[in-house]
Amino acid sequence: MTARPAPSPAAPLLAALTVSLALCAPAHAQANQSRANVPPSLFQTVGKKGGTLTLSIVSSPQSFNYFAVLDNNTYTVMNNVLDRLITLDPLTNRLYPALAESWTFSPDGRSATLKLRRGVKWSDGQNFNADDVIFTLVDVASNTGLRANQSAVFKIGKDPLTFRKVDAYTVRVTAPKPYGAMLQALTFVPILPQHKLAKYQPLRDPDGFMKAWATNAPLSEIVGTGPFMLGSYTVDQKVSLVRNPNSWRRDPRGTQLPYMDRLEYLIIKSPDAQIAAFRAGQLDSAPITGAQFPDLKRQELAGAKFRVIRGIGLNNPPVHWAFNQDSRDANLKKAFSDLRFREAMQLAVNRERIIDTVYNGLASLPGHGVAPISEWYTNTRSYLRSYNLGQAGVRLDGLGYRDTNRDGIRNFPGGGPNVEFNILHAADNTIMPGIAVILQSDLGRLGIKVNLQGITGSTVLPTALAGNFESVLSTFGDQPDPQLRKDIWQPGGALHYWRRSLQPAQEGGTPNLAAMTPAERRIHDIFAQAEALGNQAQRKRLYTEWQWLFARNLPVILIAKPDSVAAFHDRLGNFYVRDNRVISSNYSVFEK
Amino acid sequence: MLTYALRRILGMVPTLLLISVVCFVVIRLQPGSFIDQYLEDPRVTRETVELVTRQLGLDQPAYVQYLTWIKGIVTEGDFGYSFVNGRPVSSLIWERLGWTVFLAVLTLLVSWAIAIPLGIYTALNRYGPGATILNFFGYVSLATPDFLVALLLIALVLNFGGTNVGGLFSPQFIDAPWSLAKFLDLLNHLWIPMIAIGLEGVAGLMRQMRASMLDVINQDYVRTARAKGLAANRVLWRHAVRNAVNPLISLAGLSLPSLISGTIIASIVLNLPTIGPFLYDSLLNKDQYVAMTLLLFSALLLLVGNLLADLALAWADPRIRFE
Repeated sequence: MTARPAPSPAAPLLAALTVSLALCAPAHAQANQSRANVPPSLFQTVGKKGGTLTLSIVSSPQSFNYFAVLDNNTYTVMNNVLDRLITLDPLTNRLYPALAESWTFSPDGRSATLKLRRGVKWSDGQNFNADDVIFTLVDVASNTGLRANQSAVFKIGKDPLTFRKVDAYTVRVTAPKPYGAMLQALTFVPILPQHKLAKYQPLRDPDGFMKAWATNAPLSEIVGTGPFMLGSYTVDQKVSLVRNPNSWRRDPRGTQLPYMDRLEYLIIKSPDAQIAAFRAGQLDSAPITGAQFPDLKRQELAGAKFRVIRGIGLNNPPVHWAFNQDSRDANLKKAFSDLRFREAMQLAVNRERIIDTVYNGLASLPGHGVAPISEWYTNTRSYLRSYNLGQAGVRLDGLGYRDTNRDGIRNFPGGGPNVEFNILHAADNTIMPGIAVILQSDLGRLGIKVNLQGITGSTVLPTALAGNFESVLSTFGDQPDPQLRKDIWQPGGALHYWRRSLQPAQEGGTPNLAAMTPAERRIHDIFAQAEALGNQAQRKRLYTEWQWLFARNLPVILIAKPDSVAAFHDRLGNFYVRDNRVISSNYSVFEK
Repeated sequence: MLTYALRRILGMVPTLLLISVVCFVVIRLQPGSFIDQYLEDPRVTRETVELVTRQLGLDQPAYVQYLTWIKGIVTEGDFGYSFVNGRPVSSLIWERLGWTVFLAVLTLLVSWAIAIPLGIYTALNRYGPGATILNFFGYVSLATPDFLVALLLIALVLNFGGTNVGGLFSPQFIDAPWSLAKFLDLLNHLWIPMIAIGLEGVAGLMRQMRASMLDVINQDYVRTARAKGLAANRVLWRHAVRNAVNPLISLAGLSLPSLISGTIIASIVLNLPTIGPFLYDSLLNKDQYVAMTLLLFSALLLLVGNLLADLALAWADPRIRFE
């Protein structure tokens, strides 16, 4: 690694470019830090410094090494310590600068040049620069030897993005062909300190690298550019973070963020214990579900010192109902592959009742592959149809699914066996069994026998991916850009499990185009075209067409999208709802 | 006695080996594997899944995995790596052992200290109102699962405006150095787990003690002792209780493995930093070496507990001789 230039010579130059230098207190600080450099939507008011924010996680972090484990507790903790190049504005879900201060696209749409924020320091005082970015993107995030590598989001088809250092504060990302979601991919990758981690040589010794930053590593080794840094860790009890003295974030008045001095995560395994700790005032905020909402809301109205709010989230995974169109049972395969049969099934889905009783009203109608608050969304609501068992029955009669042997259950056309199938679902989930029971009872009234097959939540998707199901209730989270969900919704994709016969014979090969229906073929082409376009308006047109095709052809039936609910203590400021979105961040909330 | 103890210890080795085989088979019989969680993550390619499988040695046949693991234990004292944490299993267990032992020993002591006198009391005053009430509560607490008691206590404390629910310390004391305030805070939190976990033990032990006391109290030698004019207290403690307590000593030996698996659900509900929830997580995640080490450890504790109980029995009862 080459020696990095000291930041001081660069400072006057930069200062000259910016007018508002006067607000900038320390002489060495950069001019661009004098005004807010985080999304303004995070601030309802300007806060004040001090205090401790106490939150909870459900289990001890498995490691502090972001790329060694798939563990949400690790991610929750380390997201306060490490920064990404680009983040999303919580209000608009559009890209917002973080470690990358600005970016420009080349005219051909194949590469983007990112200018890094100058003057950023790691929490141990070392300078941040392009070497850290290249180390993270090339040696770590794209390194397929690491367990939690992110090479999948850096690939367009089979070809990976390439990253190149232009100078100490400029990085260029190049795609093999035009790639619309190029910068979205960067919002996933937290940037690691090269000066601390390069010695583990992730490319040569992935195993050794994954053992770095384990939970028993000295915490002083774990440095970041984020608002907080690790302070102490008590096994199975608490992870404490303290303010990063070198934090680069500023609020609208130029005050260094975070507002809170400390951030503590109590490790509380059971959801009941979490709510108990929240009610006892030990937690400032608690993750709650729709089921807990009414009870807590009642306590709030009765004068408890906390507030319970709801909003609409982007990622909140909508529930879908999929039918195995490659079922081993020939009758079922024929029925499930028939769009008219699936349309009849959709008529039997009582979304209103599901939202009302299963979600306690805390869910809304879903989009088709795109969250309704996303900028890509097009209103396909009319194709969700309303619940109408009578009409569903007429449709089934018309298709020949009649009760020919007079036992109360419809038969497959031509005097076949009873129409009967399973709904596979997560039995250990608060939502799925409720939905499954409602579907079962409605289909029962329609003359179709449904058996409920509840299994452990974590095995639902592997079972479905293996094709070992008849119908299934499952979820996939929505993403800000449809490109990022290509594996799910593009026919032939690795997660397009209800049509496994379309998947390529070998990974990375061409999907089975010949077996596709015209609509499937069109959707396949839309994804392939949109991926290679840099023009956002053209992409939007294509993805709009896809949503209509999805809504009309029902590859899966979408049921409902849960709302975001949150509970937090009165003493917190900058925790609020705006435009139906729950807004807060650990560095912008403050103690009133 | 020394040779006896040695022989028993040597006898444990084949037993443990057999148990380890059974544990391994049971864990392998569970559907799914550690790799499953990687399949549903959109960031993970199939290539990575295969790589992880190879890295963890999960692509090898089961017997090879087992033999490698056993070989590590025997030759290097290495209990394998946790798939989940990327750290040696032994260090993970070690850092959780302190509070686990503390809580287990404390509950054992508390439940004995309460249950033995109560058992004696209910046996001596069989038909008295006090004994009837105690018996009633004994049945109720035997019939109520510990986690339910824990949940009820938490709800009760919260509704009375208390805040010391869950965990062993208030958040600000968790990583603070030891002080009088921290100790008092610990006591403030400790009573809920003591009641929740200890109650069931108290009820069971009390019933045991009562039953064996009733057996003993009508024996000839007790009557003789009384007849020869010994003081009532001396008859009770030297003659009756000393004999009646024997079965409980054997019982105490059997309760050693509960250190690990005894209070999983209550520990989760009460948010206690013990090994129980760790075992539970490892089974859910199919973190096979952690689960196997803990199960093996639990079996070892059972064997050691039995041995200790036998030795203690010999010490307490001069009639028992080995050989």
